[in-house]
Amino acid sequence: MKPEVILHSFGYLTQAAGVTIAVSFAGIVIGFAIGALVCMARLSRRPWVKRLGGAYVSVFRGVPLLVQLLFIYYFLAEFGLDVPAIVAAVGGLALSSAAYQAEILRGALNAVPRGQEEAAVALGFTGLQIWRRVLLPQALRISVPPLINEFILLLKASSLVSVVGIAELTRVSMNIASMTYRPLEAYVGGGLFYLAINLTLAGFGALAERRLAAGETR
Amino acid sequence: MTQFDKISITRRGALKGGVAAVAASGGLLAATRAAFADDTLAEIKKRGELVTATEMQFPPFDISDNGVYKGVDRDLVDAVAKEMAVKVSYIDLPWTSVLPGLDAKKFDLCIAPVTITKERMKRYAFSVPIADATAALMKRVDDKSIMKPEDIAGKTVGGQKGTSQVEQLKAFAAKLPKPVEVKEYVDNNQSYADLAAGRIDASVNSLPNLAYAAAQRSDAFAVVLPPFGAPTYFSWVARLDDKSLIDAVNAAILKVEADGTMAKIQKQWFGQTMDLPKTVPEPSI
Repeated sequence: MKPEVILHSFGYLTQAAGVTIAVSFAGIVIGFAIGALVCMARLSRRPWVKRLGGAYVSVFRGVPLLVQLLFIYYFLAEFGLDVPAIVAAVGGLALSSAAYQAEILRGALNAVPRGQEEAAVALGFTGLQIWRRVLLPQALRISVPPLINEFILLLKASSLVSVVGIAELTRVSMNIASMTYRPLEAYVGGGLFYLAINLTLAGFGALAERRLAAGETR
Repeated sequence: MTQFDKISITRRGALKGGVAAVAASGGLLAATRAAFADDTLAEIKKRGELVTATEMQFPPFDISDNGVYKGVDRDLVDAVAKEMAVKVSYIDLPWTSVLPGLDAKKFDLCIAPVTITKERMKRYAFSVPIADATAALMKRVDDKSIMKPEDIAGKTVGGQKGTSQVEQLKAFAAKLPKPVEVKEYVDNNQSYADLAAGRIDASVNSLPNLAYAAAQRSDAFAVVLPPFGAPTYFSWVARLDDKSLIDAVNAAILKVEADGTMAKIQKQWFGQTMDLPKTVPEPSI
């Protein structure tokens, strides 16, 4: 073990960690927006909208992310649709994560006791008020732990976007391993960066949980 | 796209219209394909840039040194592009994505060194050779039991899956008195790692790759000489129908060889010069 290999490549790894964070963050945010829409579709009273939401979840949760990325980047080009690498990477992450996030949100909304909604109706809340003041705050609180879980999984899954030519953290670790012929040091370096990023993410999650729990403390 | 909309709106509901729309979209799709298939060389000249791709994990050919692309291929393609009077850009893709990416027209030229084989000649247009690709073996520096290639009989050898060097190893091993266990890895670096860790007794790769690896880690590795494989060469590849592009690249490579630039690049990365065929050789494997 030669720790100076990691030190020598520190700048390179930092830069790659930036790419991993940027790609994952964009994937999480866009995925959340799509996921919220899909969740709404799945909870819709219109059967065809409901089925459409269900079909989305089945497809994007059922097909491996790697295959989705290859499909977006290489296969669409066969039809004359040239998707840039970064769009394919973020798009693939977002579309796939949206399916998981939709189910997390749906589960959280279902977990809010029905009595809450009935009570709100009885108290004269309007439909929008019920969502804004009663259902969403409680659902959000329930969904924070699984959402943070999903974000961390997505961040690690972002290592797959190297197949479309994005030099993210895992890919760069491999580059360093091949250049230096010292794989152990390279992967330990990459692993430490992942750990630091995910611990930060988990920290934000804990903070969010505490904030959202404020209503429960007396 | 608007054209489709018009067709489908004006004839909405009519089966005939639907058929026409499908036919029209097929026609348009074919038209775009044709435009793509237009001369790649003219396209490169027009945009003033040759877009290339390789896997930057194949020293000394392709190295990503703290994010800066280096190596034999880099130096050579820069010289070639200068001859062609265009700029170059480089994409780093995992090896398994390089040839599919070439087929999908994500770039013009694959500058990853590809061993010339009969099978591959049917699918891709090869440039004139850019380096020797003869298969050889590398062992742990302290291993006295392997002194010549035949000594791997009864031992375990690793290599990168899907490479011609592994295929050559299997053919070579079949003629040895004792069977050789061949372990295939996603890339050579894992094979080297297992060699260093003692899980395998030798790694197979092309001689230039192994010579460079052994020079970089002389504390761990040594090359087993002579190379066991039949003489083979590395080339760059383009799509099979890009004849004009590969001709232009070949002309540029030969010029770079003639003016001594190639010898300078070889000296820098291999420590010695080597003679290369001036035409695409008939593959021996």
